[in-house]
Amino acid sequence: MTALRIADGFQRGAAVTFEVDGSPVRAHRGETLAAALMAAGIVRLRHSPRDGVARGAYCFMGVCQECVVRVDGVLRQSCQVGVEDGLRIELRGSV
Amino acid sequence: MARDADLIVIGAGPAGAAAALAACRSGLSVVLLDEAAAPGGQVYRAPPPGLSVAPERQGADERLGDALRDQVAASAVMWRGGARVWSISDAFRVDAVMASGNESFTAPRLVAATGAHERLVPFPGWTMPGVIGLAAATILLKSQGMVPGRRTVVAGCGPLLAAVAAKIVAGGGIVAAVVDLAGPGDWLKALPRMASRPDLLRQGLGWALKLGAARVPVLFRHTVTSVSGEEGCEAVTVAPVDAEGRLTGGRSRVFEADALAIGHGLVPGSEIPKLLRAAHRYAPEAGGWAPERDAFGRCSVAGLYAVGDGAAVAGAEPARLSGHLAGLAVAHDAGRLTPAAFEREAASVQAERDRMLVFAGAINRLMRARPAMVEALAPETVICRCEDVRRGEIEAAIAAGAREINQLKHFTRCGMGPCQGRMCGETAATLLARHVGSREAVGYWTGRPPLRPVPLADLLGQFDYADIPVPTPAPL
Amino acid sequence: MSAPYDLAIVGGGIHGATVALFCARAGMRTVLFERGSLCREASGVNAGTLTMQMTRVALIPYALQAHAMWASAREWLGHDVGVVVCDGLSLAFTQREAELLSFRAGKRREAGAPIELISAQAAHAVEPGLGEGVLLAGHCKVDGYANAYLTGQAYRAALIEAGVDLREQTPVSGVDREDGGFAVQIASGPVRSKRIVLAGGVWLEEMAAWLGIDLPIKVLVNQLAVTERVAPVMRTVVGIASGLLSLKQYPHGTVVIGGGWQGRGNRARGGAEIVPESLVGNMRLACHAIPALRSARLARAWAGLEAETRDALPAAGPIPGIPDAYICGSVHSGYTSGPYIARLLAQRILGQQPADPLFPIDRLLAPPAAETTPSAAEGRATDEQPQHV
Repeated sequence: MTALRIADGFQRGAAVTFEVDGSPVRAHRGETLAAALMAAGIVRLRHSPRDGVARGAYCFMGVCQECVVRVDGVLRQSCQVGVEDGLRIELRGSV
Repeated sequence: MARDADLIVIGAGPAGAAAALAACRSGLSVVLLDEAAAPGGQVYRAPPPGLSVAPERQGADERLGDALRDQVAASAVMWRGGARVWSISDAFRVDAVMASGNESFTAPRLVAATGAHERLVPFPGWTMPGVIGLAAATILLKSQGMVPGRRTVVAGCGPLLAAVAAKIVAGGGIVAAVVDLAGPGDWLKALPRMASRPDLLRQGLGWALKLGAARVPVLFRHTVTSVSGEEGCEAVTVAPVDAEGRLTGGRSRVFEADALAIGHGLVPGSEIPKLLRAAHRYAPEAGGWAPERDAFGRCSVAGLYAVGDGAAVAGAEPARLSGHLAGLAVAHDAGRLTPAAFEREAASVQAERDRMLVFAGAINRLMRARPAMVEALAPETVICRCEDVRRGEIEAAIAAGAREINQLKHFTRCGMGPCQGRMCGETAATLLARHVGSREAVGYWTGRPPLRPVPLADLLGQFDYADIPVPTPAPL
Repeated sequence: MSAPYDLAIVGGGIHGATVALFCARAGMRTVLFERGSLCREASGVNAGTLTMQMTRVALIPYALQAHAMWASAREWLGHDVGVVVCDGLSLAFTQREAELLSFRAGKRREAGAPIELISAQAAHAVEPGLGEGVLLAGHCKVDGYANAYLTGQAYRAALIEAGVDLREQTPVSGVDREDGGFAVQIASGPVRSKRIVLAGGVWLEEMAAWLGIDLPIKVLVNQLAVTERVAPVMRTVVGIASGLLSLKQYPHGTVVIGGGWQGRGNRARGGAEIVPESLVGNMRLACHAIPALRSARLARAWAGLEAETRDALPAAGPIPGIPDAYICGSVHSGYTSGPYIARLLAQRILGQQPADPLFPIDRLLAPPAAETTPSAAEGRATDEQPQHV
């Protein structure tokens, strides 16, 4: 679902492929993981701890902590991580 | 202790960069730290490496940001990007996790310029995927080249509404509606003071024209009452409100949308002065709890200066000027600028800043907190996203004796999660203030390290067990 | 003028609140003054560990009783503080630590703590989250933890139910002796009581001075760290032989890392600053013990103040020379043992024979030359050279 990428006026970086829960996702260098996931239609990044309801990136600027995923095994804010070839992403699930 | 620099500046937005540059010009050695890869902060954010923005898409913010980056690059300021500052101690030692691991910086003076974060009054469905901040939408639009959804409702208050909606339209996206807490009368009332910044006023009118041409419905004096959907935003319900954001009982409307960009103003991100136990005051006109400062940003803690929207929300250009003033003050306080030179240089900057604060005052009035919206929340509405704490639980804790915000945190876990209370703090404090009389009595979250959660893997690095400096055992 | 209260307590931590609770339930008209909110200093910001393996040998019998109190808090306190009873492990990664562990576990076992030394393999069976390199472990089934931050809420409800006149946000500026009791000075004027208990934690030194008593109290600034919620990485309380680690994961997923690494602070400023190297060292120790922790993030670090007397044993008993005045505090691992020691003092105040001996402060008021007598001094000396044992 590249519908969210603005076609005109942006020169995107090289194509990269990373893995989300085992499935490949394509994005462009220069995109944050959070934005790339959103553009790929992956908006449910985790489940809330008590209610177990879906949550997604909210602030995209490092404040809200809703976009935390496991990046190569370590919990990180996906809005603060740039996409790279070969990253292994696990969505957190409920803890 | 040997010191690394004369000054450490944390935050390389317009305020921090200006402070660093001004101090540096006086011959001080300055370290400038920011978690981003390039200076600019939120408003003047640099496009990420790999993404380039066509000149026709670049506006004033891009040009000002490039100028700021050129100035920093051309200066002797020691720029350290990608620095996640997590600890500040010992007047002043700053620890930051860098790509290379943890690094310490020391200096006798510290400028805190960490910017603001968005206020958002909860509503049913506000935690759903697809609901994002207005500032988030600007980041997606300006530095990621993305629209937030296929159909987006843009809601809340302040000038970002029109900015975000117009940029979505310009990017080929669809804006289902713009939903503004303010009415046309509120904007009209603000107009004379907004005229003090013809550049920004012109920009705003440009956005409005763009929305008109795209026939985007604009609903004044309306608020979002709920978002519904299976596991993400599918529909946004809005309803009319009065000047304080109370529902008037008027007809509600539903817009189909897969994204909602919403924000209710800005709150100073004063974590560093709070961590260093600087005196604060509750200043609604500045966005919330703000460090007490003199006209040059000097805080109650010796050697600490707070500038920009992290100290009092006023916008990018006033932030730059407040940073400039603090940089001059640092140089003066360090004995590198004579009192006469300091006064001379500061006078013109102060005059310009004061002129700009007229505009900022008008905007802040539009973006002010509206406690009535919080008071109307239903008991089952989630207040603390990290810990799923509902209003009803907060009220129960207040009934059980919680009287200040940190005690409320202990009773409920509200604010105890990884956002460290940034998302829920304003709402929780407003609820508590109804019972204890004032926001002053409620207080604010005690500042604690880390400034943001930090992965232990990055912080601890590789180590040998034998090298851990385990202290002497306690007595048996 | 007759005093309206039988008992006034200054300080609303675990010690003061527990004394108040039992005395009020026994019928005493009790008032409690706390300058802030209940249990918001050491009693609320400690690591919540309820362990024998970090408890001083002399306090083991008390800690065992207190552990049972915590485990049954719903019955006697009436409210939940999130107590979890589980296995505890104290680890040795080096030969020196193994010797220290053997020595310390032996002494604690002699004092009644059911600690057994087990192999690395057995330790991994108890705690599958353990990393490599364990040489030996102390295993104690009487261990566990509470949610320290819930302590204030629980005691608050209990004290109100018991009829204690609870005065939070009420600083006390002094206590004066007068005929028939004491006058407690607060902003609105004196409040009179027949008896007084000083229970001010690290501020006991200033409080004792109100009554002309010179009781030096050292201030420890204990650092703590907590991760965000993470999937289960461990199921026991884990420490190391030296006592410089306490580690456990709460049911909601956060992992609390402590062990008494020192930050900066003092009585006037509180636990104002963490020391980055100390925090990093403490967390490295934690990740060495439980490697899966490395994937988590540090969410918050803080420091709480702990009071320590000259011999590191409690100050709990009557104040010598001043009838009806008592002191209660400076209990090492005070969160674990506090409720029991405070209950003993309540028994004394109520005219009963305490079930175990108190810790009168007479020994601490004697000139420093008398320091050869307390057993603690000997314990410390031998303890630091376990290879000679």
